[in-house]
Amino acid sequence: MVNLEDLKKEAKTVLEEGKVKYIIGYEKSANGLMPVPGFIKNPEEVEKLIWTPACVYNLTKFLVDEKRRKSKEKKPDERPVGLVVKGCDSRALVVLLQEKFISREDVYIIGVSCEEMGVIDEKKLAKKLKGKKAEKIEFDEKDNFIVTTQEGKVKVAASEVLAERCLECKANTPVIYDVLLGEKVQRSVDNPFQSLEKIESLPEEERWKFWKEQLSKCIRCYACRSVCPMCYCDECAENKVAGEIAR
Amino acid sequence: MAEEFEPKIVAFLCKWCSSAGSDLAGVSRMEYPPNVVPIQVMCSGSVSPLYVLSAFNKGADGVLVSGCHPGDCHYIKGNFYARRRIALVKRLLEFIGLEPQRFQMSWVSAAEGTKYTQIIKDFVQELKPLGPQTKLRRDL
Repeated sequence: MVNLEDLKKEAKTVLEEGKVKYIIGYEKSANGLMPVPGFIKNPEEVEKLIWTPACVYNLTKFLVDEKRRKSKEKKPDERPVGLVVKGCDSRALVVLLQEKFISREDVYIIGVSCEEMGVIDEKKLAKKLKGKKAEKIEFDEKDNFIVTTQEGKVKVAASEVLAERCLECKANTPVIYDVLLGEKVQRSVDNPFQSLEKIESLPEEERWKFWKEQLSKCIRCYACRSVCPMCYCDECAENKVAGEIAR
Repeated sequence: MAEEFEPKIVAFLCKWCSSAGSDLAGVSRMEYPPNVVPIQVMCSGSVSPLYVLSAFNKGADGVLVSGCHPGDCHYIKGNFYARRRIALVKRLLEFIGLEPQRFQMSWVSAAEGTKYTQIIKDFVQELKPLGPQTKLRRDL
């Protein structure tokens, strides 16, 4: 299990040594359960950092913003940015490196291993708690999460509230890192592409129906563009196409 | 009597081979179905997936991308890029549930007028039983 104190200590050391400009990690939000991205600039602030099963978001996207900001500065700070990554996030980072969008020297990777667990699905948890509002969620020994609600603590089996993608994840340990927290465990997954195979085995018409249903949710808010780390072009070809269709 | 369905095909033909091939078919007065709308591009490698999707969006029943034979590209390796990219688009379209016959790729050299007519004939024959393409078409 990742020890939060280790994470804070590591963050504090690199900040004090001046190895990094700042650290992008997870912070407690006003809502309580789901964290918000935190930008830690001073060693004193590291106490804000958290690591819980609710750290769902991929922070890699902030490197895209960082690169843009840096390109506008006259005398940019050349030090790398510290970034907390989970196994899955590290793969996004690898693609950004492969596409040469960022260079390896620009990022100091603090890898956190999910080990046998993963991150939660907010909806699944809400269903499980039956209307009680979760205020805090923590890792527990042996495949359990401890959820704190207003009525006290509840133990929840990880397999019941883990996000779908975590149930068939093989990248539970970051594939690339400067420092790794937690243990390197190979998770045993029989078939990592179960949900994909399910869709691929459907007949044409069913597949079309499935995607139509998925895309019917789209209200063209472009949040997908702001959240996906692979979406980093300055000029977007989609803008033009969308304009043509909306005409 | 109901009219037979005539599919509309958009063909992206590379300037150096396929377009010249279709031209040869024309000047040699070979007969082939009039269902195809040729669009000349400089290289099959310049065909963006967006062109293909846009053609379907505007009501094409089938899309054909045709370039030089592998190894014969005027720009040395443009058609290799095309081959990779088009294969990906084809698989994507199949994955979302479009009939795989609706999108095809072929290699036609400048001397292969007959081959071009044959490809169009076969394509039209394949598209006729499928009926109009409504999935990716925008509502008019």
